[in-house]
Amino acid sequence: MNFWEKVSGMDRRWIYLLVAISVIFPMLVVIKFPVQITPEARQLFDAVESLPDSSVIFLTFDYYPSTLAETEPMSVAALNQMFRKNMKVVTMTTVPLGGPSIAERVTRKLAEKYGKVYGVDYVNLGYKANYVAVLKGMGSSIEAIYPADNTGTMLKDLPLMQKVKNYNDVKFIYVVADNGIIDYWISIVNAQYGTPVGAGVTAVMAPKMYSFVEAKQLTGLLGGMKGAAEYERLVNHEGNAIRGMDAQSMAHLLIIFLVVIGNIGFFATRKLRRGAQG
Amino acid sequence: MRTTLPVAVAFLSGLIMVVGFFMNPEKTFFGNVEEEVLQWVTIVGGFTLLLGVVSIVRVNSRVVSQKRKDWIYNLATLISVFAMAIPAIMPISSDSNFGSIFYSIFPESWSFLFGTGTYSIYDWLFNYMDSPMMATMFAMLAFYIASAAYRAFRARNAEATLLLLTAVLVMLWRIPMGEAFLRIFSDSLPGYINTYVMSGVNVAVQRGIIIGAALGAASMSLRILLGIERTYMGKG
Repeated sequence: MNFWEKVSGMDRRWIYLLVAISVIFPMLVVIKFPVQITPEARQLFDAVESLPDSSVIFLTFDYYPSTLAETEPMSVAALNQMFRKNMKVVTMTTVPLGGPSIAERVTRKLAEKYGKVYGVDYVNLGYKANYVAVLKGMGSSIEAIYPADNTGTMLKDLPLMQKVKNYNDVKFIYVVADNGIIDYWISIVNAQYGTPVGAGVTAVMAPKMYSFVEAKQLTGLLGGMKGAAEYERLVNHEGNAIRGMDAQSMAHLLIIFLVVIGNIGFFATRKLRRGAQG
Repeated sequence: MRTTLPVAVAFLSGLIMVVGFFMNPEKTFFGNVEEEVLQWVTIVGGFTLLLGVVSIVRVNSRVVSQKRKDWIYNLATLISVFAMAIPAIMPISSDSNFGSIFYSIFPESWSFLFGTGTYSIYDWLFNYMDSPMMATMFAMLAFYIASAAYRAFRARNAEATLLLLTAVLVMLWRIPMGEAFLRIFSDSLPGYINTYVMSGVNVAVQRGIIIGAALGAASMSLRILLGIERTYMGKG
């Protein structure tokens, strides 16, 4: 067995070890390459930034805890921008497991930082089942779908919600999602009610979303942790995404290295295999 | 009757949604009915969650009571379901009837433990057990992807080679280190990848897929509305 045959048949546990090292090492030794801003991230930032102060904005937490590393930094960066601009933020989720808790935790933390008052500056609507009906129903009346907020307080008792009746009162919808719900925000809310929608999605979802950005159905896009890092840079708030970029860089480089080595091994051993057959 | 009634309900519900789409909800009958149906849907959606919980309890409790193979995992599932659900549905104040009975048994100073608010048992279990476990499961994908990329991503033919080269370029473009590397060749290279690969070729392909899927969904919806497609009732 020659060198390339050994490389081709390498035990997968060596690969797992390399992946672990490539992720852990950059967390111990900070390298920090500058994060470049893509036009899609800039578009989303500008869309929010161009809204008048005190505008009502929807921020959704449509993600499960499994993708927190990619999505939560987007929500944090977005809230930093919104609260800094004194916007009135309404949060909600279409994800039952985690969505309401994540929204509660992230929003309250940042609200404390900016001295925002619950019910006046921000509201967490929480979760309601059957997202298609929820998204469509809120076009007519938010209160009909959400009679109470996440903690059970009636919407009529919250000053902010007295002036937010449906999508007509919302200037922008900022969706952070790790699942197909984003399609419905675009096809129901943007297409049927005309409310601008911007999105932060996981890296695997991002390629599909480019077609909506090109069609101007989506106003800006953040893709994965890199997108979150771009937004953190735009809002001038260094968070977990910028810190995680080194680990992601090393993991990507390792996968590229493995693909290259795997292909060299494939061609080297193919010659040997053909020789043995011939 | 067992077939006709669900088909009739599906037809009427679909018809209301389709016609209601073109109607003003405040001024027209159909628009108003559509809005009403949407509220029903969220209520029915809530019951489907309950149905899910009942189903998971039934299936798992049967395995535990019969002590079938690996029953301990089913027991763990049952304990998890109740540990998350029971504290979450308990009252957080003595304002309601149930609340007054509950807090006559337990001290009211314990109220912060119940419900789904910050510092509640539900919140603690979510933040310190559920969340890390789900993140761990997802993170393990990185190991499998790396291993799969090493073994399966081969330049066997022209198409595979093109896919491989594109993947490598996009992976480099999506990381700051890779972007810095690409800039060695040309400052415009990362921008070109964004413009021609992601917003160009990728968009063309994605649109084909999206339009194809939408046409499929439309034809399937029409089949359900007209009662041709009945597999959702467990019938062919």
